[in-house]
Amino acid sequence: MNWIWFHKLGSPKWFFQWANKWSKFAFFIGVLLLTIGVVWGLGFAPADYQQGNSFRIIYIHVPTAILAQSCYLGLGVAGIVSLVWRMKMAPVFIKAVAPLGAVMALIALISGAIWGKPTWGAWWVWDARLTSVLILFLLYMGVIAIQNSLDDMQLADKAVAVISVVGLINLPIIKYSVEWWNTLHQPATFTITAKPAMPMEMWLPLLLSTLGMYGFIAGVAMWRMQAEVLVREHRANWVKKEVLDNGI
Amino acid sequence: MTYSSFFYSEILAVFRRKQDVVNALVFFLLVITLFPLGVSPSKEFLQPAAGGIIWCAVALAVLMSVEGMFKEDFNDGSLEQLVVSGLYLPILVLLKLLVQWVSVIIPLLVLTPILSQMLFINWEILWVLVLTLLIGSPALFLIGTIGAALTVSLRRGAVLMLLIILPFYLPVIIFSTGAIAAAQVGQPYNGQLAILAAISLITLTLSPIMAAVSIKASVN
Amino acid sequence: MAFESLNEFLSMGTHGPFVWSVYGISLVLLFGCYFSSMKAKKDQIKRLKQRYLREQKS
Repeated sequence: MNWIWFHKLGSPKWFFQWANKWSKFAFFIGVLLLTIGVVWGLGFAPADYQQGNSFRIIYIHVPTAILAQSCYLGLGVAGIVSLVWRMKMAPVFIKAVAPLGAVMALIALISGAIWGKPTWGAWWVWDARLTSVLILFLLYMGVIAIQNSLDDMQLADKAVAVISVVGLINLPIIKYSVEWWNTLHQPATFTITAKPAMPMEMWLPLLLSTLGMYGFIAGVAMWRMQAEVLVREHRANWVKKEVLDNGI
Repeated sequence: MTYSSFFYSEILAVFRRKQDVVNALVFFLLVITLFPLGVSPSKEFLQPAAGGIIWCAVALAVLMSVEGMFKEDFNDGSLEQLVVSGLYLPILVLLKLLVQWVSVIIPLLVLTPILSQMLFINWEILWVLVLTLLIGSPALFLIGTIGAALTVSLRRGAVLMLLIILPFYLPVIIFSTGAIAAAQVGQPYNGQLAILAAISLITLTLSPIMAAVSIKASVN
Repeated sequence: MAFESLNEFLSMGTHGPFVWSVYGISLVLLFGCYFSSMKAKKDQIKRLKQRYLREQKS
């Protein structure tokens, strides 16, 4: 396999120019897909025979929950890259993506709670999935907290990398333990949460909105990373040239 | 400096700073006292909740004692000496942690029978509680070290460390209280203990290395 | 369309408030993500530009 693209991404200059080209594309495709998926899901997908129309929350709940986990996976991988190969872009990635992941987890939590009210009759149920999203949110807040509290940039980069890697290793353990704990404590009445096999008309908009959310986050994350690159590389000549010539 | 001289000096240091150990134990006692006072002193509440109460208190007390682990060494510069000493840093971290663990866990184990009577735990269950403490607490210490090493350069890092590390404690707390709960209803609890041991072993291999990385970053 | 009329679409059976509040909150938060990220990049470029121009003058 050709690894040149990987090494190129490690260079701030190359990344900046690459992101200039692709960030808008990713963002707009993402917003487009997200809009199609959500409109389709809200207006055209059939109502669920058990939950009625409240199931339409799924088109925001599931994409954000998936993104929250994917972002954390990304943090962990970037953490390993940062610790092992010391690539310059890895800490930038962590710093840019952690807040986005936290927002994703937050939306998943809020939508889960609001979905819970008509479905379970309570705003919050200690359901395995909700609980693990809550823990994921707390992990994100930890990463953000340590990033913001350490003034020394190099130390902060190392620290978030370490925490991300530890989190990546711990995440399956936490998820598994919460599920196990849940089956121990949960009365059986809440098995409604087990997803029934979905018909195509429900599933396709969900796929679209999930892909759209990926695009949206990718675009936004690239902007954040570009901003961070500008802060870190402000002494480099190419930044000066980029800023003065292209008048961005 | 050799590994054994380092180990010896750590033991001496613990004996000279007895107050730290006492602080952690008093804190542990205080957290446990909060529950009967705050929720209910009845046997109906305390007996099933006892395992959870004790484990939450242990987790907090361990965090308290681990938090200051590198502080003094960092302030007087001996942490830097360790980094440049040429000895393998993860081993040094492990030795330091071993001393810390023994100094906290032995008084804790002495306290536990007394506390278990206050929380109406039967003698048979007490044995399970002691087992989970012995098997599970190394994981608490090992994960906590990473946090302590990361926040050592901060003047007020305790809250930050709590924020970062506590989520990682959840599996340990879940499985140890699970073992105690299983024992209380007469079910087998070997599975939970095995998982606890597995978590402790995973952290044993990983966290000294991670803590060493963090210490090196903090010292620079 | 899964709904007969606009009114029905807005009320979503009896679940209208739940569904619409979720989408409203999400829209606000996602827009916040977009806006803050865009602004971070633009602000940084503006700041650097001023700085470089100042350096060129001196």
